[in-house]
Amino acid sequence: MFYAQLLVNGLVQGLVIGLAALSITLVFGIARFPNAATGDFMTFGAYAALSAHKATGSIAMGGLAAIIATGVISLLAYLAVFRQLAERSVVALLVASIGIAFFIRAVLGVAFGHSQQVFQVPLSRPYVFGSVRITPLDLQLALVALAALALVFAILYLTPIGRQMRAVADNRDLARVSGIRPDRVMIALWLLAGSVAGIAGMMLGIKTIVTPEFGWEMLLPAFTAAILGGIGSPVGAVVAGLILGVVQEVSTPLVGFTYKIAVAFIIMLAVLLVRPRGLFGRLEGAR
Amino acid sequence: MEAYFIAIGIIALIYVILSLGLTLQYGLTGLINFGHVGFFAIGAYTSALLALKGVPLVFSFAAAAALAGLAAWPIGLVSLRLRDDYFAIVTLGFSEVVRIVITSERWLTNGVQGVPGIPRLYDSLGGSVAQLAVLVTVLAVTLVGVWIIRRIAGSPFGRLIEAIRDNEEAVQALGKDPARFKIQVLVVGAALAGIAGAFYAHYITYIVPDQFIPLVTFYVWMAIIMGGVGRVSGAIVGTAILMLFLEGSRFLRDIVPGVSEVDMASVRIGAVGLLLVLFIMYRPQGLMGDYTKR
Repeated sequence: MFYAQLLVNGLVQGLVIGLAALSITLVFGIARFPNAATGDFMTFGAYAALSAHKATGSIAMGGLAAIIATGVISLLAYLAVFRQLAERSVVALLVASIGIAFFIRAVLGVAFGHSQQVFQVPLSRPYVFGSVRITPLDLQLALVALAALALVFAILYLTPIGRQMRAVADNRDLARVSGIRPDRVMIALWLLAGSVAGIAGMMLGIKTIVTPEFGWEMLLPAFTAAILGGIGSPVGAVVAGLILGVVQEVSTPLVGFTYKIAVAFIIMLAVLLVRPRGLFGRLEGAR
Repeated sequence: MEAYFIAIGIIALIYVILSLGLTLQYGLTGLINFGHVGFFAIGAYTSALLALKGVPLVFSFAAAAALAGLAAWPIGLVSLRLRDDYFAIVTLGFSEVVRIVITSERWLTNGVQGVPGIPRLYDSLGGSVAQLAVLVTVLAVTLVGVWIIRRIAGSPFGRLIEAIRDNEEAVQALGKDPARFKIQVLVVGAALAGIAGAFYAHYITYIVPDQFIPLVTFYVWMAIIMGGVGRVSGAIVGTAILMLFLEGSRFLRDIVPGVSEVDMASVRIGAVGLLLVLFIMYRPQGLMGDYTKR
């Protein structure tokens, strides 16, 4: 029953990966490049939440701060940089996203220092089901993640702007001739992608320790989940995130804690070899 | 003072060798290699560990180049048939995995404690003469590298890889298999990075996994973007600016009091980020690039 416990831990970890992958896949599907700044957006969200939590003592306020602040930073990155590069090659966008990632990390490093910080959350007794222990904190985090996911999917599938975003992801030219204004769609996209990354960062921060580098370390698992789920597929990103979270956790006793990221990399290579369009992706795309 | 310039010269030339590899891969062929530091690390550790086992340095350097090139092979096979941006992600992931492996496999690499006491080149000559000899050797290797890249660029092979960069479908339509040529380019560039790594290890004499972070990859990217992508002169000028920047930031710390080393590292990362963004936005052709084009 040791593995049942790992399954539970993996699901919580998987929700974090899934949220990060969702942010990546939205940008990849609509703005058409892999945003390497996603990891550092997460770090930004974690520090925003940390500051708000310290100031108010409330995790909910922390979450709100992460959503707003990271959404704004992400939008600023779009307005200042990505929008100017929209007509350029994918490598320009890719290198620029690395540049933004470094810049955010540097600002956070100077502003908050390099020492490890933790969320001061009260310890509580875990619920015990048979041999599986679930802490109330994990349960709360899972609920927060599920609420965030529900909100994102509601925006994507129930609102006009969400429908427009999906239309642009599907076929940009067709969307434009149908009268969809790309500017509004892009602003909504970057706000949403940033907020999702911010929440993922806060969750990761609560589960682990916050340093200026810690979001970057999540980039590879998040890319893997986005590719495994199929680029541009929000449902795929979340499902793949959960799968990856569980696989990483279950493989830990076999390969050791440090090789978690390597496991993600192997899975990425395997997906690219066997099924480059991922679980839910469309046929064109990867090749 | 002389010793200082020799030291800077050696490090600068090591970066030039790295940027020559990337010029071949990205500048000429259009491969977005975000994992250059991985091949650099493989070269450094290979040569260092072999030399400590008593293998003559000639062979340990050759092994560094060979192993780095060999590591690029499967990466190329898996990902070169895919789109450019996927290749960037895969190579970035590869370099992170290399770092994880050298951090974790303590029996081989001594983990985070690193490998100390790596033998220097020409140690028997002693002191400043040995330093000068190292400088001359790195310079010779760099010049050979420049010559090879120039030759490649002017050859039928060079025209083919540039055609792959500019229009891959057209190359396919002519009956060539771009993936094959891309793999060759990837392997040669990785081998160059491996040699650079070997020089680095035997010059610094002490390597730890933290020296092989992705930032190093983007130092090299910054150098070729600042200098001008796809030109050997660009790689050299860009590296010169990079060295001014890296050394300048060290001096700045000596002058401005109260700035800690970690703060300075942050400032350095931030400046690299800012420069990458600004050059990509406002001068994508680099300083040595064609001024009439944008």
